[in-house]
Amino acid sequence: MAGRPRIVITVDSSGMVSAETRDILGDRCLDYVGVLEDLLTATAVSSAYTADHARTTTTVRQEDRDVERA
Amino acid sequence: MSISLVLLPLAVAAVAAAQGVSAARDRQGRMVCQVQTRMRDETLLAAALHDTAAVVSVDRDAITADWTGVRASFQRGADGIWSAHFTGEVDEEQAVEVVRAVDAAYGRQVQQAVLERLRQQAPAAGLRLESEQVTEDASVRLVFAVEGRS
Repeated sequence: MAGRPRIVITVDSSGMVSAETRDILGDRCLDYVGVLEDLLTATAVSSAYTADHARTTTTVRQEDRDVERA
Repeated sequence: MSISLVLLPLAVAAVAAAQGVSAARDRQGRMVCQVQTRMRDETLLAAALHDTAAVVSVDRDAITADWTGVRASFQRGADGIWSAHFTGEVDEEQAVEVVRAVDAAYGRQVQQAVLERLRQQAPAAGLRLESEQVTEDASVRLVFAVEGRS
């Protein structure tokens, strides 16, 4: 299950910025590259997918069945 | 999927803090030592020079900084990046040392400018600040909740 979407931004004392999206599933995380560049007046110089790369939003359906017990 | 990024503020050029060091004599026969910086922003540069206890004067084409016994004229190149020109009894090693000190102060100015912009502009981008902490290496870590997008 996905948690609440968050973005963690770290600004170091040399002015460099690192950012990581969390629990933003699917291609929507890529939207935030441009959002962060605009917000920070910065250019992305490197990027990498995180452990959430392969995760997708899944819906778990629970079925109640009457089971005839022996 | 989620993504991690490294971003470089436009105020900082993607080059070394102090590079392209050269020394030559000017028309009056004085030694001029030149050091290329990575600094682009005039306001942040002037503030950084103040932070290094320099006496600063800003002219149309240059920023002059005076420390005890050392004077540097910062001039902007065609690429928008500032270079430092030291005149007098300053060798290349000393010039690089001064530029590195100014660059460290400049980095802290950029950090504060980025943080201020983040705090002001993030809500308009749908980001709500949840927490902020200063780490041991003087970095600042901010956690934003994403609202209205996902």
